[in-house]
Amino acid sequence: MSEIALAADFAIIIVVAAAVGLVAKQTGQPTIIAYILTGLLLGPAVLGIITPGELTETMAELGLGFLLFLLGIKMRLDDIKEILRPIVNIAVLQTVLQTALAFGIAWILGFTFVETVIIALATVFGATPIIVKILTDKDEITAMPGKIDVGVLIVQDIYLVFVLALLTAGQLETATEVGVTVVTITILISLIGLFAIASSRFLLPRLFRRIADNKDVFFLVAISWAFLFILIAEEMNLSLEVGAFLAGMSIAQLPYSTELEDRIGPITDFFILVFFVSIGLQLEAADLFAYWREAIVASVVLMVGNFWIMFYLIDREGFSVETSFLGSLNMIQVSEFSLVVGGIAIAQGYIEEPILGYLSLMALLTMSVSVYIINYNHQIYERVQPVFSRWESEEKFDVELPGYRDHAVVIGYDEITRNVLPVLDREFDQLVVVDRKAAHREELERSGYDAIYGDFRHTEVRKAAGLTRASFVMSSSSELEVNKALLSELPEETTVFVEANWIDDARELYELGAHYVVLSTQLTAERAGEYLEYYFEEPETFKRLMRADIEEIREYPDEEFGVPALTLTKIDEDRTRDGGECQ
Amino acid sequence: MTELLTALGIVFVVMGAFLLCAHYFGLPIVPALILSGVLSGTVVQEESLLEIAQWGIAFLVFVYGVNLEFDDIRTVVRDGETAAFVQFALVGGIGYGVGLVVGYDWLNAAYFAVAAGLSSTIVGTALVESEIRENLVHGRLATSIHFVQDLVAVLLILVLVAETFSLEAVGQRLAVGVGLLVLAFATSRYLFEYLLELAEGSQELLLISSVSILIGFLAISELLGVSIVVGAFAAGLSIKRDFTRNLGMLNGVQSIRDFFVALFFVAIGALVSLPTVEVAVTATVLVVLTLLIKPLVTTATLLRSGYETRTATLTSLTLDQVSEFALIIAIQALILGHLVRDLFDAIVLAAAITMITSSLTKRHEDRIYELLLDAGLDTFHGRKTDERSRTPADLSDHVIVVGFGRIGRQLVSQCEQLDREYLVIENDPARYGELQEDCANFVFGDAMDEYTWQKAQYRSARLIISTAETADLSERVLDLDTDAEILLRSTSAERARVLLERGAEYVLVPDLLAGEQLTHLVEAVLTGEIDREALRESHLESIDEFERAGYTALGTPKFDDVS
Repeated sequence: MSEIALAADFAIIIVVAAAVGLVAKQTGQPTIIAYILTGLLLGPAVLGIITPGELTETMAELGLGFLLFLLGIKMRLDDIKEILRPIVNIAVLQTVLQTALAFGIAWILGFTFVETVIIALATVFGATPIIVKILTDKDEITAMPGKIDVGVLIVQDIYLVFVLALLTAGQLETATEVGVTVVTITILISLIGLFAIASSRFLLPRLFRRIADNKDVFFLVAISWAFLFILIAEEMNLSLEVGAFLAGMSIAQLPYSTELEDRIGPITDFFILVFFVSIGLQLEAADLFAYWREAIVASVVLMVGNFWIMFYLIDREGFSVETSFLGSLNMIQVSEFSLVVGGIAIAQGYIEEPILGYLSLMALLTMSVSVYIINYNHQIYERVQPVFSRWESEEKFDVELPGYRDHAVVIGYDEITRNVLPVLDREFDQLVVVDRKAAHREELERSGYDAIYGDFRHTEVRKAAGLTRASFVMSSSSELEVNKALLSELPEETTVFVEANWIDDARELYELGAHYVVLSTQLTAERAGEYLEYYFEEPETFKRLMRADIEEIREYPDEEFGVPALTLTKIDEDRTRDGGECQ
Repeated sequence: MTELLTALGIVFVVMGAFLLCAHYFGLPIVPALILSGVLSGTVVQEESLLEIAQWGIAFLVFVYGVNLEFDDIRTVVRDGETAAFVQFALVGGIGYGVGLVVGYDWLNAAYFAVAAGLSSTIVGTALVESEIRENLVHGRLATSIHFVQDLVAVLLILVLVAETFSLEAVGQRLAVGVGLLVLAFATSRYLFEYLLELAEGSQELLLISSVSILIGFLAISELLGVSIVVGAFAAGLSIKRDFTRNLGMLNGVQSIRDFFVALFFVAIGALVSLPTVEVAVTATVLVVLTLLIKPLVTTATLLRSGYETRTATLTSLTLDQVSEFALIIAIQALILGHLVRDLFDAIVLAAAITMITSSLTKRHEDRIYELLLDAGLDTFHGRKTDERSRTPADLSDHVIVVGFGRIGRQLVSQCEQLDREYLVIENDPARYGELQEDCANFVFGDAMDEYTWQKAQYRSARLIISTAETADLSERVLDLDTDAEILLRSTSAERARVLLERGAEYVLVPDLLAGEQLTHLVEAVLTGEIDREALRESHLESIDEFERAGYTALGTPKFDDVS
């Protein structure tokens, strides 16, 4: 028993959020809704048992910081390079039109001018976590509509960072003040942005290359990097979100970003929970329902309106009607950022709680509805296709997007897999190798192979390799559990080669659907026995075989498979990599 | 931004700089974290610091529990590595005595003893990671000892970190400990299984549910008056590791842990005040105990329980640092007001110092070993090797097989079939029984030692085959003054080339063999030459055949792979 009890409010928040989250899951609702409801339940709206302490507030802010950092890390411009132009067009116009629509609705509904402005700025459509999560689950994230949505969301995020900076800056009384603030912010953000770009070019590649092989240093230094930017942003009176976002963006362009995304993701999930709960905690029941009629009206109008805005804009860029339809349908929910913006606006004194209640209610309504709509997007399209066919024409088509399909994935680059790469490269159009050593990745790139840096156990890394769409997968991990997980994830059509240390493990893997299990030590033991026999019984044969083998060893290219990276973690060790010969 | 967040920002930025330095010089990161805490931790209020530290402790122990595998316990028990217990009891005993002499009361002396006795798993196993990977005896042994010590640490925390110490109270706490274990078992069996179903694969929900389980256990332990460490440990045990279902969650818990644990070490550093002379003296005593007495006692204990000199020395050199568990106990005792502030400072200081020195002793382990040999350790190992070997007086034209793993076994049975004289060199006590049973001749000793080779009568040997991949050992074999032909094993073609250059007759490269075979098979499958289902069937058949041929046991890890 210790006198300093663990922060009780924080503990209660986590436990209740988990429970509500599990209940929400049964109805197919996303966690974000569960978290807001948790906040309402624990806060003054219902039970009123939680008043967040400093640690909890800090964690909420930390969540926000991590969310933007993560968002920045995901800003890999390469991903949307091919469709960058149309996406920027769509995003910019969508932001303008939809903000105008939100402004109009709020104005008609009778909010004051300041409130209307805040509402218009806060009502952003397209909630990244919801769209990305559901589309990923449906394996549609890399299809054209998904790509467009993600691209638009990325551009939107830049706009949001700006809005956040603007709101925190204060002094927005007169038009001149707003103008001055806008200019100042632009200059400051550009300064930090320049610093981010410069370090992304010159400093970070070398820095991260050095530390990439040490998981712990890699992870903690990345967080330090984020905090460095947060502190700089704070120093310049910009919001912490701006700093975190730019820090993430500077890392995004490095090959290590996928792996980092996977390491930062869970902490973000963990802390952002606290943030969304704290949104709910701020609201009285009266606040939440103060404008319930308005919220319902606005939700309906905005969902419909935004769908048509998006549809018009995507269609205008010449994509196919189906793509335009699906891409727009996915985006009909209020972004989680409207709550972020609302929260900050309250803190700055621009609006009162009831307005945040209005925004929250709108978020809750549109998000919960959109979950079902996205899940059934194809069915809906089939129903309405006759109506939408009038927009179809010959010129509209989707450009081919690069992405892995029917390809070969090789997990781990070592002496065993290296031999096989040329064969796979010949037989498959696409081949990608996953390895968690920075030096290996570089060598692979030099040899002209696609390489992903990261731990294969991480979801984002597997996703980046397009694992589930591969037609051939080879794993050089001999860890039974890892290979079992791999086999359980792969469809039956995929041909799978894995490694094992033990015969019993091999049997188990065969049972689970592996097509071939490499037993390296086994093979060596057999070979060694064989050679020994030749050595004594048929010396000539031994000499001949030996010479051939040595020839091969001599011709084998140089490469340093150095000592594996140090790590604090036991979970990630490839234990008993070889057969276990003793010294 | 809250003040706390700004403070955390400063802490992290300073931490980043320290980590980069530590990484640059190849030093362990824990001391870097503690040092950055000393420097920057003061910007955070002590109360917040302690709160964060508690979460750090909770997550550290929680993940330790999650990763704990019961197979490991079985391994340790089977190996009869009582040495681990004896070693701890001896060093702890000495520490307790010294603590009393220095003038602490019995409780503080006990804390002192714990700090002297326990070694850091985080630092220690990171240092021997490659040895663990290569499954060398001392790597495995170090892992086992750390493992035992960590379990002992949890038990000690159950007993030592509490308000009262009456016999009744201690008994009660032990009962609570058992109760928590039972609860953990039930949770893992029923509740967690149910959660896995409820979450329907959502790793985010599983993550938060697991943290909720942790919180639940923490609450129970607070309620029942035992340390939260015990609760966190039990909570960890109640989480199932099933990569097919909760891999993402396990990775997630790890990330959160790393975040909080880093802050925990920073908090430890921040709580240290400028050392007084007294603190410095106490810390020095602790450093001497950890750096000199503990390795010596450990080496002696291991020698007694049958390990040979080199294994014993190298193992003890991975244990010469203060444990993170000692820090956990220290901070908790400090919060309870039991621990003298000076002693706390000394423990933290000693921990930081020994964690750094431990990576240095590891770096120079061979030199240290040689020094110890010169100092008289070698007389010891000659006797030991004689006692535990079986060698006929006049071997000639024999095959020397280094290592009695799978390859070694196969070679031995081949020799027997061919009616050739052979001798096995092996240093793993876990394989001693097998050696006695299955081998006509063997030397039980380290293949790095000259004496072992003399016993093996290497000069008159016809063939020496080393089945170990360790580079040092291969070099050692090549340095032997013998006419025997030498066959080695290597992990890479590159190293194999060096070995060939240096005079090896032939080098087996398992990965190359496997790669070659694999290339052939992949090509055959992809071009449709072989049907993939047929490939599976035929390999399964050949495995069966291999087993029928009498190598049954070779397929099961319990037989010869013990890491």
